[in-house]
Amino acid sequence: MSKSVYIARKQELPLKGDSTSLFLQVIISIAVFIFAITLSGVLSINSILENWNQSILGSLTVQIMPINDANQEKAAAETLAYQEKAIEFLQTVEGVIKVTPLDDEQLKGLIQPWLGDGVNIENLPMPRIIDVKLASDAEIDFAKLAQDLAVASPQASLDNHKLWLSKLIRFADGLKLIALTILLLVTAISAGAIFYTTQMSLGLHRYIIEILHIMGAKDAYVAQQYAKRMAVLGLIGGLFGLLFAIPIIFFIGSLATQIEGGIISEANLSIGDWIMILILPLFAMTISMFTAYYTVKRTLQKML
Amino acid sequence: MAENSNSIIEMRNVGIRYDQGPEILSDINLSLKKGSFHFLTGKSGAGKTSLLSMMYLWQRPSRGSISVFGKDINFTNRDSLASLRRRIGVVFQDFRLLEHLSAFDNVALPLRVCGMEEREVRKRVSELLSWVELDRHMLDAAATLSGGEKQRVAIARAVINRPELLLADEPTGNVDNFIAPKLMKLFVELNKLGTTVVIATHSDKLINDFAYPRLHLQNRGLHILYPSDKSGLGGSDV
Repeated sequence: MSKSVYIARKQELPLKGDSTSLFLQVIISIAVFIFAITLSGVLSINSILENWNQSILGSLTVQIMPINDANQEKAAAETLAYQEKAIEFLQTVEGVIKVTPLDDEQLKGLIQPWLGDGVNIENLPMPRIIDVKLASDAEIDFAKLAQDLAVASPQASLDNHKLWLSKLIRFADGLKLIALTILLLVTAISAGAIFYTTQMSLGLHRYIIEILHIMGAKDAYVAQQYAKRMAVLGLIGGLFGLLFAIPIIFFIGSLATQIEGGIISEANLSIGDWIMILILPLFAMTISMFTAYYTVKRTLQKML
Repeated sequence: MAENSNSIIEMRNVGIRYDQGPEILSDINLSLKKGSFHFLTGKSGAGKTSLLSMMYLWQRPSRGSISVFGKDINFTNRDSLASLRRRIGVVFQDFRLLEHLSAFDNVALPLRVCGMEEREVRKRVSELLSWVELDRHMLDAAATLSGGEKQRVAIARAVINRPELLLADEPTGNVDNFIAPKLMKLFVELNKLGTTVVIATHSDKLINDFAYPRLHLQNRGLHILYPSDKSGLGGSDV
């Protein structure tokens, strides 16, 4: 048996030693790094919006404005009477499953961050708050409900959180749009870098490619060699990028959980989100592979 | 173009020029019959390499039409051109080996681009390299081989897939007096097996030793000269 049996097949195109390999790997690493962090941001915003929607859609708040009277006891009693009327009315509304007035302790809890401990709530013109839980399939006309509530209890006003929530959602949507634009730009820049370095490499190896063509190689034969090489570069670059991104994502996450107030701390990445982030190197590999493949095919079209 | 099923190559009123320069070759009419053997002669710059490069489908003519294996190349797509090229073996004057590859990998190239199984590739390449007495250099990088060894690798690469058309540009120019007749014998044997052969050469010895007709390029035109014709230009257009 010939000794040639034991030799490994060498690729005709010496792409492994290309000077552009390291450059591309670094570009892909940076791209995946930015992509992973931005994607985690988008997914976190999604999770925040989802949490807000969940909590807001199933509830509304009724506020009973306090009666102003020199006689504080009388004013408090009248305010409580309006609260009772509102509760009675709300319990008759279809779709309402629970009506809970906040007691003094809970009200104290709400103002505690501003006024501190030891505040005598009875001395303050505090509105009473009623928390109303709605059925998930409740179809409520909030405008009509507000009108009816005002009739049943003139001191009551309805807050279905939609106003402030819509502003927050608009803000979050804006952030999401910016993040998605960044993702698109990063993908386009990486694909562009692969496109131009592949074209450059085709120019460098034109002599070999001509010989391959004369031997009867189809464009796909050359394109596959580039695609394989770029797939490896994309995967390695992607893994490096991810390696650097994961600690940063955890760091930003830990900063978010330290924020009090509960808005940003709701940004939890689910297992599905993490899978999306962890498969980014495969995404980088696929993009690199296809970009290289089609760049080669397109460029070679210009040859006979 | 009316196809002649017995022709490997048909050229009709072919002209070739580079950029806006004058025509290197004009009004070439040629019908290369299956199983024929021709020498291609002409002074340096007469257009031998241009004619060969059109034959192995690397250059398109500036005008006229070329049909190879019955296919008009003006109406043949890229993949089909590649398939046609697989039926053609080419030996270049400057060898055009891939210097970073071994002699083995260079010879294996035409088989691999066709997708042949590696086991069969190894068998065929090893046999052929032994035949051209390069088995000791099988794993040596082409860059390290001598001129004669490179030429033998180039010839082995051209014939490894048993081409129907073999085109060679000065194939014995760099080999010694012992190897040259052996290589010519290989071409003759391939021709006997049905391969159409065109060899571009300046060697009078080769032309005299082997009594094959010549395709002679002169004044941008192509003439055929038969071995009995001693006048040099007494032949007819092909």
